[in-house]
Amino acid sequence: MTVDALAASPPAKAGTAQGPARAQLDLELRNIRKRYGSFTAVDDVSLKVGKGQFVCLLGPSGCGKTTTLRCIAGLEEPDDGGILIGGKEVTQDPPWKRDIAMMFQDFALFPHMTVARQVGFGLEMLQRPKVEIAQRVQQILTSFEIAALADRKPASLSGGQRQRVALARAMITEPRILLLDEPIGALDYSLRETVMLELKLLQQRTGISFIWVTHDQNEAFSLGDLVVVMNHARIEQQGAPEDILLRPATAFVAGFVQGNNVFRGRMGEVLADAFCIETGTGTFLAPRALGAPPVPPGTEVSFSVRAEQITDQLSDRHVNRLTATCTAVEYFGSVRRHILERSDGEVLKYDQFGAHAARIVPGQRVTLGWAIESTVLHGRAGA
Amino acid sequence: MGGKLGLRLTGWVLGTLTLVFLAYQWLPIFTLALLSFSGPTGGTTFPMNGTSFHWYEELWRASVMNDFKPPLLRSTLLAIACSATTIVLSVMAAQAMRGRFRGNGWFFYLMLLGLMAPGILVGFGFAIMMRLLGVELSWDTTTFLVQVSWTLPFGFLTMLAVFNRFDARIEEAALTLGASRLTAFRRITLPLVLPGVIGAGLFGFSLSYDEYARSMFTTGPELTLPLAVMAQLDRQLTPEIYAVGTATTFFSLIAITLFTVAFWAMRRSTAVRRS
Repeated sequence: MTVDALAASPPAKAGTAQGPARAQLDLELRNIRKRYGSFTAVDDVSLKVGKGQFVCLLGPSGCGKTTTLRCIAGLEEPDDGGILIGGKEVTQDPPWKRDIAMMFQDFALFPHMTVARQVGFGLEMLQRPKVEIAQRVQQILTSFEIAALADRKPASLSGGQRQRVALARAMITEPRILLLDEPIGALDYSLRETVMLELKLLQQRTGISFIWVTHDQNEAFSLGDLVVVMNHARIEQQGAPEDILLRPATAFVAGFVQGNNVFRGRMGEVLADAFCIETGTGTFLAPRALGAPPVPPGTEVSFSVRAEQITDQLSDRHVNRLTATCTAVEYFGSVRRHILERSDGEVLKYDQFGAHAARIVPGQRVTLGWAIESTVLHGRAGA
Repeated sequence: MGGKLGLRLTGWVLGTLTLVFLAYQWLPIFTLALLSFSGPTGGTTFPMNGTSFHWYEELWRASVMNDFKPPLLRSTLLAIACSATTIVLSVMAAQAMRGRFRGNGWFFYLMLLGLMAPGILVGFGFAIMMRLLGVELSWDTTTFLVQVSWTLPFGFLTMLAVFNRFDARIEEAALTLGASRLTAFRRITLPLVLPGVIGAGLFGFSLSYDEYARSMFTTGPELTLPLAVMAQLDRQLTPEIYAVGTATTFFSLIAITLFTVAFWAMRRSTAVRRS
């Protein structure tokens, strides 16, 4: 897919009357809340999306990410809170008055319209002249390499073709924000990686903000400039992919992100540069930043250690130690993952890189360790 | 091999049963149609006394006792009006049910009440109520109202079934592309549910066209076709009545054909083209 046609079109929309500061943000959610009866689907969600940002809403199914997206689209009205698009308050506006487009999970193509007709639908709604519509449809179909499908109807298209038609239909009006609800979830696995790359390039070239909903962390971490992890209707953590991978803020985020070992325990002694945390498998040390407030002993806390930060080749640095029994060894590309059982029955994951021979075999009992700075204490305590 | 044979056998058995059933459904009408072509001296039973168009000429001249033309016209207009009303109201009611509203369960059952209530009682009760209110009974007012209460539930159920399978996200896609609710309905929803709409219209037409029980007490002096036919049967039975039956059946068939052609045309325009 080439993206020249779109990139060549006039990009940035002028700032609004509310001043340049506001205009820097494509989207702002202010404490939005949405309930269905007694069920809270979105709870106190706030989010700021800068100009042309790629944002991924990540979370398990039912966490409220799709409802949040639908609130942005105007398909749901939040019970509380405000939504600003391009600095303009749109909370009460219907979808057709918002500067957005949306790509649905199964693409939601119009079954009775030819590809050309439905791609031109958005421009038709803007009451553009027929000649201009035809021209721009031709242009975008060509740039998405689906010009040959112009007269076909959706039922005769493959999954990949439908995805392109849906994307062309959404992008032709050059909205400020494109909302994507699991946009590649319906594609064959083999197609996904290619399409992800194409979409990332397209987003960068057009400068349209993408809000991408997914439950797949690989998508979120490889695409997002900003990753927003949601659970139980709330935002658990938002930040750059690296932040979330290396510094999970909650036990949920740590557990949701692949490769973390989560421990729960109680705060013990507070040292000058470390916290002691007492768990069922021993006492572990977590770093305490200079001047970080002490945490009252006995407070319930959780922390995590990444599987690749653990080692079986212990040195003085590896002050956190525990003994576990290996139950399985798995291979993911160049990673060898050991699944071990801790003495409290929980699972411990330990990753080794490189092609050297396996040192640990199933059934073996080993002592593993990690350095203080590899312990990530969750919550405000670690900040 | 045996399975294939069994499948083929099942196909033949079911096919034959279907044909027998269709014959069972249509033979009585065919019998009447045949007798309506008997000669001028013909009776109302077999064997036929000659063949002619005599009874159709009689019918057209309306010589015997009643002129069937005005009732035919009335019934046709009434059926068209019921059909149109059923279409509009059933689409609106089914759309409302999609959105869910307070008391939608009650609304659903009240709509279906028209289907359950015995027609003769509905007609009678309605006539009494109109009398009480001082409304004069007439085929184009009171009969129309009471017939719509009969045809509407059928259209309503048809549209509910259609919307039940309708993917609302297609409409939502239109909304996010800048279409207002009305435009989305006109450009997206309506074309996609049109086959169902035509079905609802067909129910409205055919149920109204041959409705007797509900019309009996509510029509006033100007009779609809079923009432006129019954009146004729009461007085004198000649092949003319068969001619009436055949003519009206023919008329219904034309209406159904028109609807079917429209339906087919819609299907073609929304059809899936398989590559």
